[in-house]
Amino acid sequence: MKPKTRQYILAALRIGLGSVFLYAGVLKISDPTAFAGSVAAYKILPYFMNYLVASTIPWVEAICGLLLIIGYRVKATSGIVAAMNMLFIVLLASTIIRGLDIDCGCFRQGGDKTSAWTAILRDILFLSVALTLFSARGERRFSTR
Amino acid sequence: MKEHYRKLFLEMAIIVIAAVTIGVLWNFRLLCDAATGKLSDTKQQPVISATDGKSMTPAPLVLVRELFEKKEALFVDARESSVYSDGHIKGAISIPLGEFETRLKDLRAKTTLDSPLVLYCSGYGCHDSKSLGEKLMADGYRTILIYEGGYPEWKDAGLPVEGAKP
Repeated sequence: MKPKTRQYILAALRIGLGSVFLYAGVLKISDPTAFAGSVAAYKILPYFMNYLVASTIPWVEAICGLLLIIGYRVKATSGIVAAMNMLFIVLLASTIIRGLDIDCGCFRQGGDKTSAWTAILRDILFLSVALTLFSARGERRFSTR
Repeated sequence: MKEHYRKLFLEMAIIVIAAVTIGVLWNFRLLCDAATGKLSDTKQQPVISATDGKSMTPAPLVLVRELFEKKEALFVDARESSVYSDGHIKGAISIPLGEFETRLKDLRAKTTLDSPLVLYCSGYGCHDSKSLGEKLMADGYRTILIYEGGYPEWKDAGLPVEGAKP
């Protein structure tokens, strides 16, 4: 593949992944209480921690999304996104193992239910994009750094 | 190389810490309420006032039980009528999501827009109570609590039910 083509593909992946995370973050920031309910549905954390996670994780998502879009500190940001996706996959797998039939709470809260399997497949896709960006070397297109 | 990874890790840590700090500051009041137990303490009634017509509040069993015992809220079952008939929380009225328009009149007759309502359905995976809550909020009801454990948790806790087959 020509280096230039490769750069354009990486830029598209970066902006695409960034947009998904920014969107997911902003939706949850707008309703932290509802997201706390979704977190509570995983039945992992104690009461207060559900609210703490619901108050902070969406901001990590949104800020990482924004940084990916503008292309600032892409390696660090894609590393965080990859780590978050790995965590999400483990949590979703735990719901399947424990037989919890819950909505993943990934995007809009309280909408149509997304099954854990669908969410896992989606997260694997995001994880592979994040890892691609994390391991990419060389000059970047449409990027601040 | 080691230096490179150290720098990368530092950058990641800074981004995460900055985002978490913003999140905590942004939701400071909510977190204070949750930490001090206000969200689950009916004595101070903040859950009731905190809903403020803007959002619905998820309510844990301990709070819902207290509201039930003190008769401070009306329980609304969002499940299908047939499921309701097979057993429901004692005293709960039935408003299946699909029959919202027809059942709303009954609710209006029994409540004011300020009456606290506890909505529930079939547990954590069920969204009907939230969808019903959105409709009720749009209709003007201001104090809506979503009991996410729903009927299964209530029944498992051995709390009063009606219509359940032995």
